[in-house]
Amino acid sequence: MSTFTTECDQNEYLPLGGSEVNAIVTVTSDGAAGETSQPEAAEIVIIDTSGSMGAPRRKLEAARKATSVAIDCIRDDVAFGLIAGTEVAQAVYPTDGTLVPASAQTRADAKIALRRLKAEGGTAIGSWLTLAGTLFATVPGRSCHAILLTDGENQHETDDHLDGVLSELEGRFQCDCRGVGTDWKVSELRRIASGLLGSVDIIAKPEDMAGDFRTLMETAMGKATGNVSLRLWAPQGASIAFVRQVAPTIEELTDRAVQVNDLTADYPTATWGRESRDYHVCINVQPRDAGEEMLAGRISLVEGEETRARALVKAIWTDDQRLSTQINRGVAHYTGQAELADCIQEGIDARRDGDLATATFKLGRAVQLAAESGNDGTMKLLQGVVEVDDAATGTVRLRQNVAAVDEMSLDTRSTITVRVGPGAT
Amino acid sequence: VSTEDVDVNAEDVNVRTQAGPSCPSCGAPLQAEDRFCERCGARVDDEGSTEAAETRVELDLTIAAAVSDQGLHHHRNEDSFHLAVTGERNVAVVVCDGISSASAGNVAARNAAQAAGVVLDKSVADPDKDASQAILDAIQAAVDAVIQVEWTTRVKRVDPSCTLVSAVCRGGEITVGWVGDSRAYWFDREEAHQLTVDDSFAEEGIAKGLLTPEQAAKSPFLHSITNWVGPDAPERPPRTVTLRPERPGRLVLCTDGLWNYAPSASELGGLIDALPRGAAPAAVARALADMANDRGGHDNITVAVIDIDP
Repeated sequence: MSTFTTECDQNEYLPLGGSEVNAIVTVTSDGAAGETSQPEAAEIVIIDTSGSMGAPRRKLEAARKATSVAIDCIRDDVAFGLIAGTEVAQAVYPTDGTLVPASAQTRADAKIALRRLKAEGGTAIGSWLTLAGTLFATVPGRSCHAILLTDGENQHETDDHLDGVLSELEGRFQCDCRGVGTDWKVSELRRIASGLLGSVDIIAKPEDMAGDFRTLMETAMGKATGNVSLRLWAPQGASIAFVRQVAPTIEELTDRAVQVNDLTADYPTATWGRESRDYHVCINVQPRDAGEEMLAGRISLVEGEETRARALVKAIWTDDQRLSTQINRGVAHYTGQAELADCIQEGIDARRDGDLATATFKLGRAVQLAAESGNDGTMKLLQGVVEVDDAATGTVRLRQNVAAVDEMSLDTRSTITVRVGPGAT
Repeated sequence: VSTEDVDVNAEDVNVRTQAGPSCPSCGAPLQAEDRFCERCGARVDDEGSTEAAETRVELDLTIAAAVSDQGLHHHRNEDSFHLAVTGERNVAVVVCDGISSASAGNVAARNAAQAAGVVLDKSVADPDKDASQAILDAIQAAVDAVIQVEWTTRVKRVDPSCTLVSAVCRGGEITVGWVGDSRAYWFDREEAHQLTVDDSFAEEGIAKGLLTPEQAAKSPFLHSITNWVGPDAPERPPRTVTLRPERPGRLVLCTDGLWNYAPSASELGGLIDALPRGAAPAAVARALADMANDRGGHDNITVAVIDIDP
C-alpha cells in the first residue's frame, strides 16, 4: 500500500483584521504497491484515423508503432482495448464492445488490428471519448486510463457537445491527450485533458511518438493508488478562494469541488504513482483577535473513505508586523508560476489576434517571471517566440517568423512549473 | 436566556442540552482529543488562547460601570455590553444576551452590542438627534450586524440572535429601548421601577389577562421571548420609553442572569439599598453580579449601573 506524506508551507501569521490564509501543501506518494494492492487497471488507446493522419503517411505509421509500444507496456490482466476515431468512433480491438485482459495472445491480436487501420474520415473527439466511457463501464471498479492521440481540430461536434461529454465522463476515466503536428488546437486538447484529469502535450515529430507513448503507459502502469481526492475542511464562516495544483503543472481545482458536507469538499486528483505534487490553497476566514489561533483548513488525502495523510493550515493573528508581513516563499513562488502560465496564454492569444502590444507586454512579463523563478524549460520555449533583450526587466521583441510548433509547444507546456529552487526568490 | 428555557417556534429551535466539553468560541461539541474546534476552527487545547477567555469583564467609567460575568454553569459568556460616557454626563449603554439555543449566540451579542454602541455614541454627541430615534437606529444597526454573522445559513440551526436593551442619558432625560427580555430599572430614594416590559410569552399572558404575575413567574414560558435581534426575528418594532427623573438615582440595565434572582424592581432595589450609601456604580454592578453567582449563577450575568444626577 502506498504511503502518502504531506507538508504544509505557510506564514500562519495574519495582521489584525486579515482574513486571507495561503498555504502550499506538498503531497508525496512513495508509489509502493504490494502485489495485492495494485489497483485493477483498464487502458484504452484512442487513435485519430482521420484523413489527415495519412498525410504525411508516416504520421499514421508512427501512431501504429507508438500504440504497439504502448500495448507492450500493458501489464498482464489489465483490461485493454483500442479505439479508432474519425467522425465516428470504432472499437477496433476487441470488436465486441468489451475490453480484454492483456496477455501475449491478446497483445499480438491487437497489433494485427492496428495494421488494418486506414486514414480516412473526419474528427469527432466527443464520440471517441463517449465510446471509451462505454467500454470502461464494462469493467466496473477498475482504475481507468486512456491515451488520446489526434492531429486535428474537433470538426464534427460543437463545443457545447464536447463540454457535455466531458462533464458526463468526469471522474469515470483519466485521459492523457497528445497532439501530433501543428494542425490541432491547444485550447481544445487542454480542455479535454483538464476535464479528464490528464496531461496534454505536443508531439512535434511523428518519430517521437513511440517514446512518449511508452512513458505514458509506463507511468499509468506505475500508478499504485486509484481514485484519490484532496479533501479540504474549512471552518464555518470561511470561504475557499481557490484550490490549485501548482506542481508539476498548474491545474485549477476550485470549480471541481464535490461537497462532502457543509464544511468539507473533495477535489479529484485521480491516480498516484511514485510522485510529489504541490497544491496552493487560499482560504478566507473570519478575522479573530490578536493572539488567537485557529485552524483555517485541514487537508486530507482520501482514497475511498480512508484518510491517507493530513496537513493543517493555521491562522494566528498578531499586531507584530514583522511576523504578519513576511511573504511565504512557496506562496510567492507559485503565485508567480500561475501568473507565468496566464501571461503566456494571454500573450499567445494576443499575438494570434494581432494585438502585438499586449503580446509583447505579456510575453515580456512571462520572460521576467521565468527568469526570476529559474523556470529554464519555459524560458527556452519563450525564446522560440520572443527575442529576449533583458530578462530581468522583461524587455523582449516578438520574433517575426515563429514556427507553429514553437508557439504550440510554448502554449501546451505553459502550465509546467518548477519548484522553489535555491536561485528563486 | 438559558438553553432549556427558550422555546420560541418549537419546531425550529434545536434545544440543546449541554453535555460534554464544547468549543468556548462557538459552542460546538468537542471530542476530548480535539486541538481545534471542528466547526469554527478555534484552538481549543490548553496551548490555545481561546481557553483563557476572561470569565468576567468589568468597565468602570466612574459615573457608570458595567460587569459581565460568565456565571457558574455556562462554558462561555454569551452576554455582551457597550458603555460610553461623553461630555459631562452623557451616557450610551447597550446590553445584549446571546440566545444560546441558536448558533453563535455570543457572536450575535458581541456584534449587536458593538454595532448599536457605535450608532449611540455618535447620536449622543449630536444635540439635534432625537434620543428615541437614536435608539431605534442603534437597534437597526444591531439587527444588520447580526444578520451579517456569516454562518447564519451554513448549518441547519437557529440563526444567531440576541436580546438587546439600551439607553441614552442626556440632559436629565433617560431614553430606553429594548427587544427581548433584558431589562432596565430605575431606582431613587423613593421609587423602584422596571422601565421595560419583557417581550415574552409570560408578559403577554399577563397583559392579556391569561396569567397572573404569580402564575407567570412559575410558568415554563417565563423565558420564552417573543421578539429578538436576529435574521429570523418577528417584524415587531422595538419598544422605547422616556423618563425625566426629578431626583438623583440609578439606572440599571441587566440580562436575565441577574433578574432571575431578583425579578421585581423592589427586590432588586432592596439589594442595592443594602449596599453602603453612596456606593459607586462599579461597586453596585459588582455586588449585583456577585449576588447572582451566590444564588446559583445559572446563566451569564451582565449588569450596567449609571448614576443619574438631573
